Amino acid sequence: MKGLELIGLEIAVIAAGIAILLLDLWTAKEDKRRLGYAAALLVGVIFLASFAMLFEGRQEAFHGMYVLDEFALFFKRFFLIAALLVLLISVEFADRFESGVAEYYAITLFALAGMMFAASANDFTLLFVSIELVAVCFYVLVSFQRQRDRSLEAGVKYLITGALSGGFLVYGIALIYGTAGTLNFRELASLGPEVLESRLLLLGLLFVFVGLGFKIAVVPFQIWVPDVYQGAPVPTTAFLAAGSKGAGVVLLARLLYTGLRPIADRWGPVLVMLAMLTILYGGLCAIPQRNFRRLMGYSSIVNAGFILLALAAGTADGLAATLFYLAAYLYGVMGAFVVLCLARCPGQEDETCVLAGLHHRSPLLAATLTLAMVSLAGIPPAAGFFGKFQVFKAVIGQGAAFPYPAWALGVAVFGAVVSLYFYLNVVRTVFWSSTSESVAPIRISHATRWAVYLVIFAILWLGILPGAILNLAEYAVHSMGL
Amino acid sequence: MSSQLEQFIPVLMLGAFAVIVTVGMLLLSVVLGRRGRNSRMKNIAYECGMIPIGPSNVRLSVKFYLVAMLFILFDIEVVFLYPWAVIYRELLAEPAMKNVALISMVSFLGILFAGYLYAVKKGAFDWKD
Repeated sequence: MKGLELIGLEIAVIAAGIAILLLDLWTAKEDKRRLGYAAALLVGVIFLASFAMLFEGRQEAFHGMYVLDEFALFFKRFFLIAALLVLLISVEFADRFESGVAEYYAITLFALAGMMFAASANDFTLLFVSIELVAVCFYVLVSFQRQRDRSLEAGVKYLITGALSGGFLVYGIALIYGTAGTLNFRELASLGPEVLESRLLLLGLLFVFVGLGFKIAVVPFQIWVPDVYQGAPVPTTAFLAAGSKGAGVVLLARLLYTGLRPIADRWGPVLVMLAMLTILYGGLCAIPQRNFRRLMGYSSIVNAGFILLALAAGTADGLAATLFYLAAYLYGVMGAFVVLCLARCPGQEDETCVLAGLHHRSPLLAATLTLAMVSLAGIPPAAGFFGKFQVFKAVIGQGAAFPYPAWALGVAVFGAVVSLYFYLNVVRTVFWSSTSESVAPIRISHATRWAVYLVIFAILWLGILPGAILNLAEYAVHSMGL
Repeated sequence: MSSQLEQFIPVLMLGAFAVIVTVGMLLLSVVLGRRGRNSRMKNIAYECGMIPIGPSNVRLSVKFYLVAMLFILFDIEVVFLYPWAVIYRELLAEPAMKNVALISMVSFLGILFAGYLYAVKKGAFDWKD
């Protein structure tokens, strides 16, 4: 049974998903809320169990296809926290689904399992299977509000663009296998530069990058982002922004930093160019947005650019910056979406009235949203500041393969300044917009209140005392042999 | 490289043959066939030589798609179960695979059974309404 104990966390997540599906059959309609809490509780328990995981260095299973190291565990915990918060948000959101509440929780868990497999993928086969598992779950989750046209539209757009990028991914993998004769990242790295430098393999890599760039929302594979973010149910959007992006990042990082380490001078420049384009595109397009969810879509693109920039550095510091940036980004996104989910206006489908005068309706949520925006904008003392700081540091201390570091740094600073404008615009709407004060105050359930506290605590903790997480990130990077 | 391409010559020949045959058939039917003669008998739906009964666009119950899905589910189950059953004795002989063989299949069947329970409780087999 070699290997089964290594995928224990994934098995537990899938078992939890099936258990939720079955429990639903004997649960009365008014008790469905508890199913969501049960799912969140199970995810929390699995998160704690991940720390108890027996660990002696790097372990491989299934003929090197699956690898368990600190790097994988870091991302598994990241996905577990994301799923925990998403489940708590979706409990609040559940009354807006016509049917299939328990299925929503179960599919969220299955998507989580896919992401956790992605964290350990050391082989193109597992890369493809895990990314498809995530994608297929998201096709369903995006179009879950079947009665809303916008949700269905988002679902169709996500399905078509996702299938297209999946096609590119498979074609790229085929080209790589055709040239290199192996699907394993480690074996790929051990091939000589004459194989890795061959044009056919580089073309295949470009195609693989299309598939992963779609997940991360990198320009030019970002067209789906604003529409899908706007149309999908709020918890799905949150999970897309944090989890799906994280899955793309971990796969890309593992591929680039183990399999393609010998040809860093080939992929580095491509990544830098795309990162600069992504930051510029996302930042400039976010300025005129008036819909909060579209704004978050463009914010997701900007952040993808920063992550890519850190990855492109090609150094251990760059990878550690990526991990820290993602962790900071997770709490910013979750803070924004938990508020968006709770602060709705009865009878109004659109979110135009959500933000205006929020501080009258719930000071706690207004504070959370402000903190999340401050963090995403990168203002100290919030987590996002330190994330951006790490990225800048990585760009300055970049590897030799990094073209135009001054330009890249300039674009990144420009992106950070532009994003100040649109994030703080949200804060202005929350506190200083004229609104009728007759809107009822928002009631927050206990579990969600704790989720909100967790987000606030994490943003401040990562911002003020980043040492612990940074050490964890560096330890994770070190486990990859960098 | 050229020897590799040479191996594909039969494939190319097959492709050319397929194109020639299909285009030839179409051309021959235009040349030889007497066009413009429609009769009632000629225009009825082709049912393997039988004279068709009833309208051709029968309305099927939408429940059929559930049945189709369940069929695929359990068909796949058999597809996996069959080879497993064939080599089960050999697997038992190997000490390393002794437990793996049983546990992996039982867990697979367990997941399918959960799906079956779900289908039953959700009323996939309840055709009354």
